[in-house]
Amino acid sequence: MTFTGAMTILMYALAPFAWLIAGGVAIFLAIHLFAYLRGYQFSQHHSIVAMLLALALGLSALFWIPWFTNSELGYVDTVFDWVAIIGGVIATMVITFFTVHPLSYLLIEKRE
Amino acid sequence: MKHSPFTLSRRQLLKAGAGLSASGLLYTSALQANTIDTQARIVIVGGGASGMAMANRLATRLRGGTITLVEPRDTHHYQPGWTMVASGIWGPDKTMRPNADFVPQGINWIRQYAAGIDAENRRVDLANGESLDYDYLVVSTGLQLNYNLIDGMSPDLVGQHGIGSVYASIEGATRTRQAIKGWIDKGEGKGIFTAAPTAVKCAGAPLKMTFTTLTHLEESGHRDAFDVDFMSPTGGLFSQPWVNDFVKQRFDEQGVNRRHHYRLSAIDPQAKQAEFTFEGEKDSLAVPDDLRAGDDNAQGKPTIIADYDFIHVVPPMSAPDFVKQSDLIAKDGPHQGEWLDVDIHTMQHKRYPEVFGIGDVIGAPINKTAASVKAQAPVVEANLLSAIQGKSLTARHDGYTSCPLITGVGKAMLVEFGYDDNFAFMPSFPFIDPKDESWAAWVMKDRMLQPAYYAVLDGQA
Repeated sequence: MTFTGAMTILMYALAPFAWLIAGGVAIFLAIHLFAYLRGYQFSQHHSIVAMLLALALGLSALFWIPWFTNSELGYVDTVFDWVAIIGGVIATMVITFFTVHPLSYLLIEKRE
Repeated sequence: MKHSPFTLSRRQLLKAGAGLSASGLLYTSALQANTIDTQARIVIVGGGASGMAMANRLATRLRGGTITLVEPRDTHHYQPGWTMVASGIWGPDKTMRPNADFVPQGINWIRQYAAGIDAENRRVDLANGESLDYDYLVVSTGLQLNYNLIDGMSPDLVGQHGIGSVYASIEGATRTRQAIKGWIDKGEGKGIFTAAPTAVKCAGAPLKMTFTTLTHLEESGHRDAFDVDFMSPTGGLFSQPWVNDFVKQRFDEQGVNRRHHYRLSAIDPQAKQAEFTFEGEKDSLAVPDDLRAGDDNAQGKPTIIADYDFIHVVPPMSAPDFVKQSDLIAKDGPHQGEWLDVDIHTMQHKRYPEVFGIGDVIGAPINKTAASVKAQAPVVEANLLSAIQGKSLTARHDGYTSCPLITGVGKAMLVEFGYDDNFAFMPSFPFIDPKDESWAAWVMKDRMLQPAYYAVLDGQA
């Protein structure tokens, strides 16, 4: 399998979800832009909620990622299986954290 | 297939995107090869996976000439998904797309069945009485399911009287799922899974159906109330030796009764009885206690009668009748009278150099799979173009085939092998061991292989 071939197939796999991906990215950027315009700075804002939610959703991904693929955690067995699913867990944590972090700022700012 | 000049179809967007992606990478692939000027008339008989892949590839590579695709159906079926439908994992709609999504612009799409091939006169006869002359022919007809070779069996019976068959059609796969569910809901009984005495498409499918049904049986909580038999007409279960031994062992571990040299020869749907002809040495037959001896058949071979509550029928297969009746059929050797007579490495017909074969119709020891089409298409493309230019054929097919062997719902083995070294493994990914059951191999089957398949049809992979 060449790199070109793999990228071509990946594009075909993602194409049906292109609008979903684009929408998700747009919402993510909109949250950050809106928060930035309201004075949000990553290093100045601390959010335990973002950290806990990222951890919870990330760890839960160990179960719902296999479930989403019509499988189960018990079949995650090989080294590559674990690399793949841990990659999914980390990605879930990162996306959750960087989405909730500015959102929590906006919620706090709104209450004040 | 025709699109408004002001809009782009989804397939055109995908092709454009794939082209941009590929050209943006500093890697020269065969997909970037130059076009060739020609006045040749090329006819492609059959618009399944292989025919569609060839139509797209040739439409890209040839300038001038005519390409005609003979394909009567409007719907393209992703057949590798039928085991997923029959196993209750996918819905049937997921496996169907309009053929118009894949047919390239600039070719003649003839929506007719082919009725005959006159190789001497380079002519394809159509079912409507018309004919097509060709300079080069690509035979990509797929194969024919010969249910009629099993006395009492027809595809109409799938879904009735406990009969399933994943191969029959998408409707057949759906009814097979219902038949399996109906059997399991009864809470007990015997299920028989069969294999065919001929080469078949997706040789792993009979095994996959057994393994996914075992998963459902175990989930029912009453596995012990069910008997599961696997009847193979030969001494083996799979052509790749390591996988063959693995499946035998796994069947034994999961309580599957393996019966070897049992060929399904007749079925009585009303009585739910199946007759198997014993193809081994007569002296070696010991009729198991749960089966009973029948009368010897007309050839003097012993038969065994089995009662069933569910039976999965795998029909004998061959090239379509109109190919068998043509001069393109193999005249001798192991594929005599049954399969297209091609050189299994160059894909060129052995007696008619202007004819090429691809896909399930060819006579070959293995590789009636969609993955094989992916490997064969660039070879056929390169060699056909060489033939057009009067050059020697240099591209060679190594027999690559792939079976994402489902060993239970949620896990699979990515089995890839070729002709050489007794079907030695040919893994595409160094980090996926073909001998390992894995979630990743299952995810490929569940999520990635269908997009890859469509990329092959578009000539992009």
